[in-house]
Amino acid sequence: MSASLTRRLILPAMVLGTTLLSGLALFSGGGASAEPGTTAEPLLISSKVATAQAQVRAIAPPAAYQTGRENSGSANSSVQVYKNGSLVSYGNKHITYVAPPKDLIPLGEALYMQNCASCHGTKANGVAADNTPGGYPNLRGLGPATIDFWIESGRMPAADPREVQAGRKTPKLSTEQAHAIAAWVNSLSPATPYIPIVHSPGTADTSDGFSLFALNCAACHTITGGGDALAKNTYAPSLRNIPSTQVAEAIRTGPGNMPRFTGNLSDEQVRNIVGYVTGNIQHPVNPGGFGLGGLGPVAEGFIGLALGVGILALIGFWIGDRT
Amino acid sequence: MSDAPQEERTPVSLATATSDDPHMQPLARDPERTERLIAIAMFFGILGIIGFGVAYWFNADAWVYGFTMGIGVLLLGFGITAWGKYLMPKGPFVEERHELRGTDEERESLAAAVVQRGGGILGRRKLLGGVAGLGLAAFGIVAAFPLVRSLGPLPKKTLTKTDWRRGSYLVDSTGRPVHVDDLAVGGIVTVFPKGYQDTESGQAVDQTVLIRLTTENFTTRPGRETWGPAGYVAYSKLCSHLGCPVGLYEQQLQSLVCPCHQSMFDVTNGCVPTFGPAPRPLPQLPIYVDGRGYVRAQSDYKEPVGPGYWERS
Repeated sequence: MSASLTRRLILPAMVLGTTLLSGLALFSGGGASAEPGTTAEPLLISSKVATAQAQVRAIAPPAAYQTGRENSGSANSSVQVYKNGSLVSYGNKHITYVAPPKDLIPLGEALYMQNCASCHGTKANGVAADNTPGGYPNLRGLGPATIDFWIESGRMPAADPREVQAGRKTPKLSTEQAHAIAAWVNSLSPATPYIPIVHSPGTADTSDGFSLFALNCAACHTITGGGDALAKNTYAPSLRNIPSTQVAEAIRTGPGNMPRFTGNLSDEQVRNIVGYVTGNIQHPVNPGGFGLGGLGPVAEGFIGLALGVGILALIGFWIGDRT
Repeated sequence: MSDAPQEERTPVSLATATSDDPHMQPLARDPERTERLIAIAMFFGILGIIGFGVAYWFNADAWVYGFTMGIGVLLLGFGITAWGKYLMPKGPFVEERHELRGTDEERESLAAAVVQRGGGILGRRKLLGGVAGLGLAAFGIVAAFPLVRSLGPLPKKTLTKTDWRRGSYLVDSTGRPVHVDDLAVGGIVTVFPKGYQDTESGQAVDQTVLIRLTTENFTTRPGRETWGPAGYVAYSKLCSHLGCPVGLYEQQLQSLVCPCHQSMFDVTNGCVPTFGPAPRPLPQLPIYVDGRGYVRAQSDYKEPVGPGYWERS
């Protein structure tokens, strides 16, 4: 009986095994769920690519220019609030951009020196303490939203500075600490955008949000927001479990390889996109009960092959077996 | 053929089956127990079907329908299959075939009939043969029609021309013209010629990506010194490989990436392909900034947009 059982299980096991293995091989290539590189080999590749990237990056400007368009992320907005002569917040009925409180600046400086200065330099200008050539990003003039996004999404402090792309992880610093660092860096050379507070994204026009998402975001993040691999070891991260402020910050500041959607999207449009992402993308309706991560027909095909055909093969063997 | 002698066929003999025959015994060692197990499985299957009815009556979630119906059909199917497999006579049974070859007389008479009658029929109906041949020829010609007609109307100039004209405003998908102060460095927007953002041709061939690389005039290729005012460059959004929308802009790599086959284009160098199957650079749209600061087109594209076609490699 055991011999016949073995024989009868070989083919189904092969069907299941090869399908699962090839599925694994296919999907582990997608960067969306890839862990930050921890082994030595990927690091070597990464540093090579990082060098090539640094050469290309020379063309990219320091990004001082924001936008002149009204109500689209810059201080040129309907409402502006000044306190002691300095702009503390601006915005409109869709989004309010708030500067991190100034009384956090001393705390921010201390935290910066502990967590950031070894790479970005004690002056936050991208020159590290050991004067490493090739450099790290200059943080000056980026605006508090940029600093806040990188820290609050856990990307900074980086697990490994040589990585091509810092991955999202559990943040090391609290929201207040992130705001403190943003306050100190911004005090060196004040700039916008401030940290965006999106007003009740749950009531935004998600229909418009969907159209804008499809046109501007879906090319990289995919239409279900699951994220996907891009060129040269980079990837567009998944949009699941990202709070509304970070979605708006990413749109306005363009972290990493993401384009900066400032000026071409109004605050109302950004609110609609944020509403769509934090609503429909993050809480998808799956009439079938199991969305398979919204990865689409390839994932569904593999599940169908592995489970469906595998089980059918097993049943076929059971029915046909007469001994 | 009625004259063929039936009695000459090889007689088929089947042994009479009795219930004592080992071939007639079920496969199961303990048929009573197997029967009980199958009955239990089918009972739960019936519960599943009833559960589906209840779920449907109370308008339950979709997954409940699938779960109950799945369980029901699966267990009933298991029961029926196990019934046939374990409780029916296990065999094997052998049924002898009769001789397949006809007798010599049968074969000869059939051959004679075919030659005799067939020759007469075909030779006598020349008209029908001709008409049938004509019909087949007509069918062949008509069958070629879809090959010609389904190619659709002639493309005329749409392959080489778009709706971009000298002075066309670059507008976004909502129809808002792009001002030179709008985009931050590292920003991208999909633009159309004003008036065409909702049209079929606009969506199909006019779509263009406008990228801001820097704040100063940017030359992507020799001879294009005036094409990139204030750091704005505009490229056709149609991949030169198969026409997918090239919407992935990686601002640090300064690459446009096609989502279909991962062709990469160097934005700072005239969108020359640097990777992937794309055979040609993306056509660049010459643009200028008018006196009020609006970004407008200098002219149409200088070359056909989108993938190659028969008169273009």
